[in-house]
Amino acid sequence: MDFVDKAVKEGRSTLSEYESKQVLAKYSIPITKEVVVDKKDDVAKAAKQVGYPLVMKGSSSELAHKTEKGLIRVDIRNEDEALKTFDEFMKNMKDIKNPAILIQEMVKGQRELVVGMTRDPQFGPCVMFGLGGIFTEILKDVSFRKAPLEKRDALEMMREIKGHKILDAIRGMEAANIEVLANILINVGKIGVENDKIKEIDINPIILSKGQPIAVDALVVVG
Amino acid sequence: MNNDKSGNHTVTDYEKIFHPKKLAIVGVSAEGYGFGSGMLSSLLTIGYEGEIFPVNPKGGEIAGRKIYKTIEEIPGQIDFAVIAVAAPLVARSLEDCLKKGAAGAEVLSSGFREIGTPEGRSLEDDIKKVARKGIRVVGPNCFGIYCPQSGLTILPGAEFPREGGPVAFLAQSGGMANDFINIGKWLGLRYSKVVSFGNGADLRETELLQYLGDDPETKVICMYIEGVEDGAAFFDVLKQVTAKKPVIVYKGGLSEAGQRAVASHTASMGGSKAIWEAILYQANVVQVATTWEMAQVSLAFAMLPERAYKGIAVAGGGGALGVAACDAAEANGMELPQLKAETQEKIMAVLPKPGSSAGNPIDVANPGVPPFILKQVLLHAAEEEKVDLQILMQLLYVYKAIQRRENAKSLREATPTIELADMMEDVQKKTGKPAVLVLPNNRQGLNDLDVEEIRREARELFLKKNVLAFENLTDAFHAIGQVSNYYRRRMERTGA
Repeated sequence: MDFVDKAVKEGRSTLSEYESKQVLAKYSIPITKEVVVDKKDDVAKAAKQVGYPLVMKGSSSELAHKTEKGLIRVDIRNEDEALKTFDEFMKNMKDIKNPAILIQEMVKGQRELVVGMTRDPQFGPCVMFGLGGIFTEILKDVSFRKAPLEKRDALEMMREIKGHKILDAIRGMEAANIEVLANILINVGKIGVENDKIKEIDINPIILSKGQPIAVDALVVVG
Repeated sequence: MNNDKSGNHTVTDYEKIFHPKKLAIVGVSAEGYGFGSGMLSSLLTIGYEGEIFPVNPKGGEIAGRKIYKTIEEIPGQIDFAVIAVAAPLVARSLEDCLKKGAAGAEVLSSGFREIGTPEGRSLEDDIKKVARKGIRVVGPNCFGIYCPQSGLTILPGAEFPREGGPVAFLAQSGGMANDFINIGKWLGLRYSKVVSFGNGADLRETELLQYLGDDPETKVICMYIEGVEDGAAFFDVLKQVTAKKPVIVYKGGLSEAGQRAVASHTASMGGSKAIWEAILYQANVVQVATTWEMAQVSLAFAMLPERAYKGIAVAGGGGALGVAACDAAEANGMELPQLKAETQEKIMAVLPKPGSSAGNPIDVANPGVPPFILKQVLLHAAEEEKVDLQILMQLLYVYKAIQRRENAKSLREATPTIELADMMEDVQKKTGKPAVLVLPNNRQGLNDLDVEEIRREARELFLKKNVLAFENLTDAFHAIGQVSNYYRRRMERTGA
């Protein structure tokens, strides 16, 4: 894992959002289409590649809490807005090492989930599933399984949370693609089993877009 | 089994450990009470089957037996030893027992890792070193092994049953082992093997669990766990064993989220409680929260045929039985299926009128309906395909009023416990479906002790007839629900 080794070598404890998602992508976890830019000249091309409307986020491994620093802007509809946002974010990040901007596809969906990995001191890597976004911390409606996960474990842990009906076809929304979700859970467990240097993972949120889960934000902790 | 930590062991001779023919008690004292002489007295009282060789350097006699001055002096080989000497002498005693051919020993002595000093830890390491040479050690700082078949018992344990049974129990805590056996004694649990392994310097949860998983005498395994030595290995063995037989775990010391410094939400939410519960569930372990619950649930596992139960018929009289039964069933993943009209008619034909109703639950109106009528009710209800198991509620205390009314000489004479037991046994045989009794007692005051006495007598009788009995409806549904969930999930996993 290049990103992980690099981060460890640099003495970092976290990967940037972009790096984190590259790790996930290697394990076939669906992620947002996204490009990192650090030069204004590259913004237009990147934005075109991702497609409008899009999301821009400050990107640096030193940035764990982008929301609180005002470094996330959604629904950017044209090049003008994109360039303006670039300038603004870069200015806000002038004290941060290697500042860059992540230009990201805007995923539409009202349902947010969380998937994570933690290392229990007794049992080793464990996978978490639950309600995502702001509800993760408020409701703590989550379930755990020790990795490696069998498919049955993945299916069971999804039904186990109190809010499991969020996965059903509700209020005109399509049912979640359970197969893809199960594979995400199994593969997050696999990341834990196969990479000792990865200590923790948060994928939050995973947004259900027409029922298809996509990792929209992620944090990989290394050490 | 091989001890992979050392590679020195060949195969652990569990037969010699649990059924020793020749047993040394090292550290008996002819004067005063010590663990060694306490153990000797307990073994003599319970009726241990083998030969006992007390050892103490002072020699002399105890309970009409010669006290050997050294282990070496004991004639011939020994199978097992109880060690109750001072901590610094334990490793040396184990060496001597090993030379005498002992396959294992239980160390009752304390003063090891648990006292938290470098000296204590070092003495425990010494025990481990001897164990690696080929003697399996239970303890130190433990109460030892209870095995009713051979007559081994834990301290004090002199009055534990000699009758064996299908339930095994593992715990670090000797007090917990005593509690569980004492509850089981009157509740009707009978044991294959109980091991209190204290500090667990050598033999402990994972290896013992694996052994019990293969032990033909053991059908149900209960464990009280505070911590495990190797979580991943324990999990793997749990999964293997639960595919064969139920494992019931009472996890002590579950705390909320751990205090480790973590960067992610996932890690902050994965405290020891959440992870432990998830791991146990993942391995299809039956989780309980109290010793009482563990006893109730293991009794249900020991007595009910191995399958999942969904549809329950409940019969009884008086109180808000209906609502309580429906709530308890639903809370535990079961249901009370509506009986067919023709079944209801057949039931109504035998029940006293008015006041009865033959839906499900079946209200027999009068709590004192005689067993021969109840039998008809249960036989009819069991004809329904949707009914997997029946529960009959009997308020035995109502016979106190009946006794007065009918001028019976005693409550015992007025209470039809024998008829009830025979009836339930017969219903189970005829229908092939379990019929379970619930015997609530709302009269527990000092002037109603006769009611309690009759109830306990009745309970013993029911158990003899293989009829499962609970104290109340909630316990009954909870225990049956735990049994059902285990077999349902095992079936999903293994197909058997």
